[in-house]
Order: sequence, then structure tokens, then C-alpha cells
Amino acid sequence: MRRAYVMHAKLALQQMFAYRAGFFLGLLGNFFFLLSMFYLWHVLLKNPRFTHALGWDWSQMKAYLLIGFVTGALVSTFTDYTMANRIRTGDVALDLVRPVDYQKARFSEAIGIALFELCTAILVCAIVVAVFGGMQPPTLQAGLLFTVSLLLVVPLKFGIIYMSGLLCFWTTNYLGVSWSRQAIVNIMSGALVPIVLFPVWLQGLANVLPFQAVVWTPARIYLGTIHGTEAAMWLAIQAAWGAGLWILARLMWKVAVRKLVIQGG
Amino acid sequence: MALIETRGMTKVFRTPLKGPGLAGSVKHLFTRRFTDRVAVADVDLTIEAGEAVAYVGPNGAGKSTTIKMLTGILVPTSGEVHANGVVPHKQRIQNARNIGVVFGQRTQLWWDIPVRESLALLKEIHRIPQDRYEATLQSFNELLELEELLPVIGRRLSLGQRMRADLAAALLHDPKILYLDEPTIGLDISVKDRVRAFIKKLIAERGTTVMLTTHDLGDIEDICRRIVIIDEGRIIYDGDLQAVKDTFARERSMHFQLQHPPADPAAIAARVPGVKLVAGEKPVQLGVHFDRFEVSAADVVAAVMTEADVIDFHIDEPAIEDVIRKVYAGQLDLSAAEA
Repeated sequence: MRRAYVMHAKLALQQMFAYRAGFFLGLLGNFFFLLSMFYLWHVLLKNPRFTHALGWDWSQMKAYLLIGFVTGALVSTFTDYTMANRIRTGDVALDLVRPVDYQKARFSEAIGIALFELCTAILVCAIVVAVFGGMQPPTLQAGLLFTVSLLLVVPLKFGIIYMSGLLCFWTTNYLGVSWSRQAIVNIMSGALVPIVLFPVWLQGLANVLPFQAVVWTPARIYLGTIHGTEAAMWLAIQAAWGAGLWILARLMWKVAVRKLVIQGG
Repeated sequence: MALIETRGMTKVFRTPLKGPGLAGSVKHLFTRRFTDRVAVADVDLTIEAGEAVAYVGPNGAGKSTTIKMLTGILVPTSGEVHANGVVPHKQRIQNARNIGVVFGQRTQLWWDIPVRESLALLKEIHRIPQDRYEATLQSFNELLELEELLPVIGRRLSLGQRMRADLAAALLHDPKILYLDEPTIGLDISVKDRVRAFIKKLIAERGTTVMLTTHDLGDIEDICRRIVIIDEGRIIYDGDLQAVKDTFARERSMHFQLQHPPADPAAIAARVPGVKLVAGEKPVQLGVHFDRFEVSAADVVAAVMTEADVIDFHIDEPAIEDVIRKVYAGQLDLSAAEA
């Protein structure tokens, strides 16, 4: 059975090569977004108020933005769009007559795609670093913890996009759901503005939501602003969110399937 | 217990009731009103292992909904469903191991990768051993000509090629039950023939139980012995295909090509009472309609040959098509056939 899931991952990865033109266009879009973030924050950090509040300088901010870029690219929008589309057209019927767990199969596909996303994102990072100059490498301990945290982003983001894809059972239109989700994740993860610059009440909210674990947790570990037991605690929270969303998604699936209406006969 | 059994199986869809136009849609956002539509009502169905059942009815009669409940895709609103000892919608994965499903209008092949890879995924999903996998592909190759399709990318397949590949995909794991939902829709005659031949071979060699929905009555006559007719969600006939034909499709017609126009057509009719003569498009053509239980074809031929010089003739057998057309039009009461 495990081999079936490995095969899902493999085929999804293979499919990415068929979609590569579209994928690279999307990547190019994200790259320009990253560039504008770079210029924006380059200007903002000239103001000592920001450097003071953040507690880090331009070199660290560059690392922060790149981490936001990588975690943003990881498990982005393929799995959920495919799901939403199949639910909308009724092709999901064919997913249901296969003896595989729907959620695990989609997760396997997401992992296959994530391999592709990770490789391309790292490539872009290398180019950016070459152009904008070096960033401080993390300490060995921070580097290891960061790697773990980056891996934990995969199940976490999967939970988020999978559940938003499942919303198609209710809405039958995915565009609105997808846009809202992207906006919420961008803001509440700290991808646009580091969470420490939020008003206090919003910081409180961000810290109890799962989205901060997408950017804020791995970035702070990389930069060393949290380390030791504090870093371990946030890693645990990140892992717990991944597991929690997985279970929540299972419950949501159970309700969704009962509600299923196959479109188009 | 039979292989497939349903008792009082019912599916009610709740559909939003929207007023016309944009105003209606906006209003619906705030005051949601729904209407219940019964797609399948109180269906009792018993199918034994090895049977080939045609499930027919007009569009929207509930055919696909029935199939989707039997396959575990849809949850029935009420009633019971058992297939191969499991309740499909509750034990979806277990049920999926026993069944093969082909939806004529959908494909289970991956769109952007070669057919070979889609099949390889199914091999892993169904845990088919390598040697059996290869043997199965080999045996399918004869009628489906799979070999040429394996390296082709899903979206580049023509409809006929796609259906051949989809049939193979649905049957790789040698399922006990095969559900075919309009498998020949849009196919040309030669592919249709191939698909039918393949399914017939499967029934004969593997004893696969087949449930087939179709609008193509050729499919039914070719593959099935039992027919279930559903209309407005209710089963209106369930029985032997031949019995339906015997009861409602008695009229056989013969068409003659003659040397000269017949001198006295009435004389032919007088020789075999009960036949009806119909003039053909040309004077040298003649049609004879008769009840195949009352008059034998040999008598008709003899009568026509005595009165005219026959060059050629052929017989049109009664088609189930005519029967079902009459049922749809509400002209026939099928309960008579069950008696």
C-alpha cells in the first residue's frame, strides 16, 4: 500500500514537468513580488524605528524575506486547485472508487510537487543571493532546527490548502476561497510584515493561529531570535498544528462526502 | 445473499431554489430556499454473481445516481445497500477493491502523463503482482490494442482510444463487479463493437458481474440478458430481456427486392393471413410486416415467391429500441411482461 502512495508522489512530480511552463511563469511572478519586497524593506530599514523594533538588520531581513519566499513556494496551489477542479466537475467520483485514502493520496501528491517546488525555490534563492550579496549563515544548531521546521511546513501548509480545497463541496467555486486563503496566510504568517511589527492584539491573534508557523517560526529559528528550549517549543507547536489540521481535515472530509453531489450526472 | 442487493434505496437531492436572473441569485444569498428532488425512489434490486444487467431509462431517470450509490460515491438518503458483503458508502475502500468503474464521460487516466504511468499507479493501488499485471495487459491487448496507447499522454488520446485505455484501467485488478455508466457514448461503430466484444469476453471468461447503463440499445442486446427499466427514480420493469421482446416486440418485417412489381399484392396477403403489406420506395420493393409468433418467415417467403420473382430479401428483427421508446412515451404497461 505504501508503494501506491509513493507512486502518487512520483506521478505528481512527473506532472509538474508537464506543467513546467505554467509553473515557471508563476515562479517568475513570485520572484518579482520578492524583488519588490526587497526594495520596500531596504527603504523601510533605513528608518531606525524598524530596525529597532525588529532587532535585526538588512542582512537578516534579506534572509527573512527569502525564507518567506521558500515557504510560500512550498505546497502552494497545485494540489488544492486540482482537487477543487475535480470536485467542481464531478471527476472526484473517480477518486472515490479507488481503494486509497483520499487525504493520504492528496498528501502524497503534495509531497511530490513539494520536491519540485523546493528545488526551484532554492535555485531562485541562490540567484537572489548572488545578486544582492551574502546573508549571514545560521549557526549549526539553528540550521538543523530550521531544516526540521521547514519540513514541518509541508504537512502544515497541506492542511491549510487541503481544507480550503474541500470547501468546494460547499461553494462549487474555488477562486474566491483561494484568494481569501492566500490573503489570510500572507498576512497572518508574517510573510508580508514580520509579526513583531503587528499591533499587540493582532500579534496575540497571530500566535494562536496556525499560520504563524508557516513563516514566522522557521524564520525566527533561522535568524536565531528563538533558540534552545524556546525554539523546541515553537517547533512542537508547529508539529502540533500539522497534526491537528490533519485530524480536522479528516472530520471535514467526512461531512463533505455526505454532502457530495456529483455535478454533471 | 446476492452479490448486489438494495432495499428501499432512496436518494433525495436538495437543490437551491433561486429566482430568475441576478436579482434571484442575490436574494438567494439572504433567504435560502430549497427544494427536494427525489432522484432514486425506493429501489429494490437484486443482482446475482455473473449476471449482466442493463439499467436503462431516459435522461434524469436516476441511472447514474443508482450506480453512484452502488459504487459508494454517494450516500443514500435512506434504504440499504449491500455489494459483495459490504456497505459501499461505509466501507468505501474495501468496496473499491471489488469493483471496476467506467464513466463514459470521465476518465481515470492522468491527463498529462503517459497511459502506461496511469496504469502503473493502479497496479500499485490494487497491489497487483508484476507477473499478473503483465499477463492481464497482454490479454487485454488483443481486443483493446493497448500496446499502441501505452506511451501516449492522456490528453492526446482520441475518445475511442481513451475509452479503450479506461476500460483497461477499470479492469486491471480483475474486479468482481464492473459498473459501466454509458461506456459507448460518442464512440464510432467500430470502437463500440470492440468495447462490446471486450465486455462479452470478460463475462464469458472471468464471470464478471456487469451492470450497464446506456442509451445505446445495441449495447443492451449485445451484452445483457436482464433488463431493468427505471423512470423518474422508480423501477418500472425488471426482468428477462427476451421476455420483453417476446411480449412487446413481436413484429418482424421482411423486405423483398423483386424482378418486376407484383401483379397482385393482395394475393400474397391472402396466402398468409395476418401479414401487412407495405409498398417500398420503388415499385419493385415490397415490405411485409407480421407477428413472428403467428406467422413464420418461411411461409412469408414462400408466399411472396409464388406470386413474384424475388431477387433478394432480408429480415429486420424486432429491436428492444422500439419497446423502450414506447415505454418512455408511456404507451406500454410493462407489468404485462412479468406475468
